[in-house]
Amino acid sequence: MTGHGPSSPEPRLTLKSQLEDLTRVWPWVEAIAARYSVPPDTQFAIQLCLEEALSNIIRHGYQGQADQPISIACTVECAPAAVENEHAAELVFTVEDHAPPFDPLARSAVPAPAPASLQELQPSGRGIRLMRKFAGRLTWQQLPNGNRLTMGFVLTR
Amino acid sequence: MQISTEELPGGITRVALDGRMDIAGAAVVDLKMNLIAGSAKKLLVDLRKVTFLGSMGLSAIVFPARAVKSRGGKVVLFAPNEMVESVLKTSGIGTLIPVCHELDAAIAELG
Repeated sequence: MTGHGPSSPEPRLTLKSQLEDLTRVWPWVEAIAARYSVPPDTQFAIQLCLEEALSNIIRHGYQGQADQPISIACTVECAPAAVENEHAAELVFTVEDHAPPFDPLARSAVPAPAPASLQELQPSGRGIRLMRKFAGRLTWQQLPNGNRLTMGFVLTR
Repeated sequence: MQISTEELPGGITRVALDGRMDIAGAAVVDLKMNLIAGSAKKLLVDLRKVTFLGSMGLSAIVFPARAVKSRGGKVVLFAPNEMVESVLKTSGIGTLIPVCHELDAAIAELG
């Protein structure tokens, strides 16, 4: 996402680990969506997955510690489906933090069953299920000093 | 994010949510939702104008709904758009709280 002129959105957004800072994500996603003509449903999915990923990092990764760094980068890549459709493109969001190793995907390798009643409902645990449903591609990687979560959204098929 | 209420015939409280139920939106409606849930017996949560729903927004709807149901009341979610309904289904909430797309059906569910 470089070289698109002055109106192009920044390719990287840096946040602090506090929920209030997440309000900066939506305008950034909107600018990217406008730049790449992202359909509304995909824009919804991107926003949903980023919100879940970032709130997980703040609450579980940094365990509520404020002022810790989180960065989100956005790139456009060839989607895995490119073999079948040469026009397929994937919008890839890479979220990095400096929190202790925390694999959100392993936590739900065996997804918790859906609650049988409202009384059994827990305040957390839905985020990973939502990300698995709405992100086209989801991978986690441990870094020397943090974590990297990569989420891909196919733009065209 | 905006929230408004209206009393319908039959003792039904209609809560209309309007905007993005993201983290910021959830914070805006959370207190009022809990206040409404503290007294409503039949709660119709109107989602027609909700354009986004994340898990924090979901909590701001679901926990007040649980409070109503725990007092013997009833709750129905009304007219979510396709993506919002997909969030409800994926999170399992769609099976715990009825989702109706017709107002008559929603009112009948609360009857």
